[in-house]
Formats: sequence, C-alpha cells, structure tokens
Amino acid sequence: MNAVSAVTTAAPGAPVVDLDLADLRHDPYPAYAELRADAPLAWVPSVGRHLLTRYEDIVHAEKLPEVFSSREEGSLLLRTVGPNMLREDDPNHRRLRSAAEPPTRPRQVRDLWAGAFERTAHDLLDRIAGRGEADLIADFAEPLAAANLALVLGLHQAGAEDIADWSRAMMAGNSNYADDPDIWLRAERATRAIDDAVAEAAEAARREPDGSVISSMVHAAEPVDLTEIQNNVKVIIGGGVNEPRDVFGVGAWALLNRPAVLDRVLADPAASWKRVFEETARWVSPIGMYPRQLTQDHEIAGLTLPAGSRVALVIASGNRDESVFERADEFDLDRPNRPHLAFGGGPHFCMGAWVARHEVSAIAWPLVFSRLKGLRLEEGTESPMEGWVFRGPTSLNVTWQAA
Amino acid sequence: MPTVIFQLPDGTERKVTAASGTVLMQAAVSNGVAGIVAECGGNASCATCHVYLDAAQSELAGGPNDVEDEMLDFTAAERRPTSRLSCQVQLSDALDPMLVHVPEEQV
Repeated sequence: MNAVSAVTTAAPGAPVVDLDLADLRHDPYPAYAELRADAPLAWVPSVGRHLLTRYEDIVHAEKLPEVFSSREEGSLLLRTVGPNMLREDDPNHRRLRSAAEPPTRPRQVRDLWAGAFERTAHDLLDRIAGRGEADLIADFAEPLAAANLALVLGLHQAGAEDIADWSRAMMAGNSNYADDPDIWLRAERATRAIDDAVAEAAEAARREPDGSVISSMVHAAEPVDLTEIQNNVKVIIGGGVNEPRDVFGVGAWALLNRPAVLDRVLADPAASWKRVFEETARWVSPIGMYPRQLTQDHEIAGLTLPAGSRVALVIASGNRDESVFERADEFDLDRPNRPHLAFGGGPHFCMGAWVARHEVSAIAWPLVFSRLKGLRLEEGTESPMEGWVFRGPTSLNVTWQAA
Repeated sequence: MPTVIFQLPDGTERKVTAASGTVLMQAAVSNGVAGIVAECGGNASCATCHVYLDAAQSELAGGPNDVEDEMLDFTAAERRPTSRLSCQVQLSDALDPMLVHVPEEQV
C-alpha cells in the first residue's frame, strides 16, 4: 500500500464539474473540450477523481511516475485480478514487465506470431465470406484478437471464445462502480478459470519453453511466482481483447464513412495502413483514461494537488487537444505526425503496442478490405461507438458482394 | 560536465550540458530538445528516442544491446550504422563534446 492514504475529495481550489456517466459513455468528447478550455484539472464527483484533460499536463504526469503513482488505493482492477504490474511502480513493475515483455517486442511479433495471426484472420474470413453480410466486431475482430492473445500468452488449451468471455467478465469487474454482486460473481468465475489455465500452461512451459508470455515469465532471470504470472495474465486478457478489437472497429468505421480516403489507402496500402492505425488510435483512443494517485504534493495545471489525490489521465482528451492537433475532432490521415497518447507513456507504455499494430494494420484491415469486395456499412447504421474508459464500436454491420 | 550538441533536422543546433553518466535521452528531454519523444520513458520499448551518433564517436560509444538492436529495426526514420536509442546511451568525458543528429521522424 502507499505510504500516503488516498484523498477522495477535491483538492483545494479545484473546480467541481458534474458529469453524467451515461453522457460520457455515449460521447465524452464535448465534455472533454469544455474541460480543456475552462477546467483542465477538475474534480468530477461521479468519477471520484480529478480529470486531467490537456495534452501537456498528461505528458507531464506520465513523465513523473514517482509522483503520479500507479498504486491506486481501492482500485477495482486490484479487487478483480489481485496485485499486478499495471497497479505497481518500479522497481517491482519493472521486474514483472521485463519478465512478460520479450514475446511482445516487434521482431518477435514478426518472426514468431505474424504467420499464425494471418492464418486465423483468413479462417475467420473464410467462414463469413460467402454470406455477404456480417458484424465485423462479433464475427471477426473480437475472435481474431482473442485467438491471437491466447497464442501470444501461451494459453494453448483455451479457445478464443473462452478468452473473449473472460475478458468481458473482468472488464465488467474493473468498471463495477455500482458494486453489483452478480458482476463480481461473474468476474470471480472468470479469474478462477484463468488461474487454472495459467497453472497448467506454466507447468507445460517449465518443461518446454515456447516463446510465449507465460513461458517467458516462468523462465525470467528475476524470479516471478505463479500467482504473479496468473494475475498479470488476467490483466493482459482484460485489456488485450478489446484494444485491438476496438482500434480495428474504429478505423474500419472511419474509412467506410469516407470512401475517398479509403480509395487512397487502398491505392498505397504499404504506406497507408500504418498511418491509419496511428490516426485511429489518436482519434478514438481504445483506452480513454487511466488512474493515478499522488505520492506527494504537486503543482499541475495551475493548482496544487495534495499527496494522496486521485487523478485520471484522460488520454482520449489529450489526443483531441487543439493546441497539439489542429482540427482534432477530424479523422485526417494527412495531419502532421505528432506523437499521440493512446499507448500511454513512461514505464507503463502499452506492452501490446507492437502486437496490436501488426495484427490490425498489417493483417486485419488489409485482409478484410481486399477479401470482402464492395464492403460497405449496412444502410442506416448510426455511430456504434460507446464508452469513455474504454471506447469502440459495439457492432459494425456491413455488407459486401459475396463471391 | 560533458556537452551534447544536438543537430536538429531543420539545421539548427541545441547545446546542453549534463553530468557524466547521464542518459542521453534524459539530457535531451529535461532540456526540451525537440524531436526526442521517448514515449516509454527510457525502457527501450517504444523506439521514439532514436538518434544518429556522429560517425567518429559511434565506435567509441559502443553498439546497441540486444533489445535496443531489435527496436532499432522499427524506428520511424531509417536505421543507419550510427543509429542508437538515446535512452541506452550514457554521457561520458570520453565523448565530450558529443555530436548527435536528431532524425526527421520519431513516430
């Protein structure tokens, strides 16, 4: 636990802004624009945290992990999965991250995983290609992300369906602000199933290393025990399905609504899909915010936050900051290349960044748009985006000319 | 205290000083040198603090370690023989003044 207890009230002088969580889930961006303009550090009672919404303040906080600690008291994530690297600071975070990270580095992704990612994507498209219509989230993006995750983690006995179910159950727990007992029960069932699956996989990897995350943690130079492997695999499953799924869905949605942009992308795919990925992640960031807790008094955005203050770094807002990104609300592949915040920053920089970049921009989008001819949104489909802590399309109903 | 001269893509130069042993990326970031992004804060996992060392100093500075070598294959600007991640390079009296070229792109 932190030496400093959490302070669950507004810092002296901090503006109090009431935001309705249902509005944020529907579309958080108008509220963020107002906060950036008028109250870049605001106490929001319904969130129980100060929202930090400007790009430069978020970057400042990310560069000071010793002040903006990841060890948040009363974290729902801690309750759901137990102690894990996402809610740890260095050096303990570094020990766990170093153990888990090697299979997610870009060369490993290319040499070890890319072939299987591509086969899975083709298999999923084989199943739907003749139908001429599908929900690209449920029928493609989610099962692809789940199967790829099972492979990289080394959970060879688990099916994509199990991974996706477990992920949903834990994500519900992580955001169970209403303390719904059914949600806790579902999350506990999922975490027990993962514990069993990881124990089995770890035993197999001990005998025969297979390059996976579990194998890498089992054989780490600095020892990691089984509980630590289990808890960290839970965290990775929690986020690792929805993030590639959502960036796929947002990007596909953006392009299907912009036929001229899509034509340009398809005319020069090698150069374009990478740009599409980074601009999509900026435009609608799959992770919208994450929490931090102050270890000491600290001045930021013109106010002094006392030690123990709870802060949410709203990276979705930073990515729409007009002082950094002109016409920030627009999806624009030609905008100047500025670093976005979608992967977070500092020691917690997204471990899955290279996996997601490859599976989505080198495999999922190119295959979908080349194999499904005449792909278009189903008539009358309105924006399917939902969420603010995590955001993406809940469905993406499309049609194409079936062969 | 060693001096570092950052040569920026627009032709201008930034001169900073930092203690021997300081990480080159840190010397850049704490002095606000443009073009060194360092998203991951120095853990060799983002490849956004890429620099080209001066050819003559490159050998003295030593080559990249294994993790860094891998990340250098995935930098936004082209990899060259003198490429390093600045988060993995330390300032030293032997490399004073240090000449560093900042690439056009980091992301």
